[in-house]
Amino acid sequence: MSQKRAHLMRSPFHSEREAFRFLMVLIVAVLAVVLAAALGPGWLALLVLGLMFGAVALRWAQLRMRKVRGLELPVKMAPPHVGPATERRVLVVANDTLGEDALLGEVERLASVPDTRVLLLAPALISSASRVTGAVDKLLDQTRVRLGTALDRVGHAPVVAGEVSAAGPLQAIEDAFATFSPDEVVVSTRWDDAAGGLQPQLGSLVRERFAVPVRHLVFESGSAAREPDRDTEAAYRHGVGEAAARRFGLRALAGAGIAAAVLMSMVALVHSSERQEARAASQVAAERAAAEPPVATQVSLSVVPEYKRGPEGEKHDAFTVTEFTVRVGHPQKLRIDNTDTVPHSITAPAAGVNIVVMPGVHTYALIVKRTGTFLWFCTFVCDEWAMQHPGYMSGYITAS
Amino acid sequence: MLVEHPDETTGLEIASGLRFAGYAVGICPGPHGHGRCPLTGPAGCAPAHDADLVICSLGYEHEAAREVLRELRTRYPDKTLVVETPHDMDESLRELLDGCHQLPAPASPEQIVTAVRSLSGHVAEAGSPDA
Repeated sequence: MSQKRAHLMRSPFHSEREAFRFLMVLIVAVLAVVLAAALGPGWLALLVLGLMFGAVALRWAQLRMRKVRGLELPVKMAPPHVGPATERRVLVVANDTLGEDALLGEVERLASVPDTRVLLLAPALISSASRVTGAVDKLLDQTRVRLGTALDRVGHAPVVAGEVSAAGPLQAIEDAFATFSPDEVVVSTRWDDAAGGLQPQLGSLVRERFAVPVRHLVFESGSAAREPDRDTEAAYRHGVGEAAARRFGLRALAGAGIAAAVLMSMVALVHSSERQEARAASQVAAERAAAEPPVATQVSLSVVPEYKRGPEGEKHDAFTVTEFTVRVGHPQKLRIDNTDTVPHSITAPAAGVNIVVMPGVHTYALIVKRTGTFLWFCTFVCDEWAMQHPGYMSGYITAS
Repeated sequence: MLVEHPDETTGLEIASGLRFAGYAVGICPGPHGHGRCPLTGPAGCAPAHDADLVICSLGYEHEAAREVLRELRTRYPDKTLVVETPHDMDESLRELLDGCHQLPAPASPEQIVTAVRSLSGHVAEAGSPDA
């Protein structure tokens, strides 16, 4: 007996190498998405993410295809034997071959063996279209008549019983395993895939699925039964696998098409919303610019000693223009005629402005790098009162 | 019961004996030329998971078969294993088989069924005798 061992935490990976490879792929995938999100527009990250999911889906489809084609290990199952230990139960699956003398002869031979019970199972072979339209009664009746005739010809009741199933052939056989628990299965088909008949692939499918001996008897009309060799069975099985793989491939292709369409729609949606946002932002900026007061690119002014009278009635030094309106970062040319014999200045420390106005006519650039209204004043000692009063040797710069 | 046997006919004989002894059975041909064993993959193997007892007759001179046995022991350390063992076992196989019920190869289907029946009392303590 096995000794008791401590339960181990099981890694889903086969080896450290595989786990490492998975980690590397994951890192690269995350990195690609993050880079796309950081460097590109929003839709690019979505596209990269979609491609990642696409790659995962492709791998899944590849593994699934392997399974559908029958490349995975098949495990056959069977329930325990039912009834006395000496009894042997045989399940005979047939439909279109129920009228064959050779098949009925085989059933008679089986039934004549002591302690043997035979169940003749006749799947009604109802197509998907018939199930959808509800036209199943006619097919069931036809199968019942065919089975009844066969049972009448064989006789041996109650050793030989019959059953009609509305389920598909494999499902019907699985149901029979649950209720009859056969020790052997005989599948009877034609050589070719005939309309309204059991498919010749059924033999290999039953052999692959159930852990009991399976015999596949194949009939030409009116001739003796033959058992197909291994190669023929393998060809039948290959045909089933390929057909299933084709169906799965078509479904996967349709699914991939739908997923790609959804992804492209999302990308287009994100892309268009980004463009709309950009357009709206530029429109808002344009509207804001239009709403703001016009800004002159050049202003001409003078500095004149004893230019303006103060409230007390005395004349004071003054700039002829003391209010400046500028755009942030945009230089405004100031053409200043300093009529005094000494320099003056336009100094606004908060705005980073310090223009020394030399005597004579000169042009200066007034540049402000932040928005706001800033007090400026002359830092050269001149008219002390005028230096402290806006409108004289002081004023405001408004930047927007 | 899960029977792991590369030969279809012998596997069916063992399965038949077990069925008539009252057990539900599954037969797996093992990895020889049949593709990759799901037990060694991330999905695992449902029949191996559900089985109360596994009969392993895959021929352990092959590394692929040892891999299956190793997986069985790692994933299901409490599962009862009946292993058909070769006469000349190397050290690593001996270690791998530690605690398994061993039958010298070649064991007849009757010998295997008898071994399973003698062990089934143990198995029944843990689960249903027919599973």
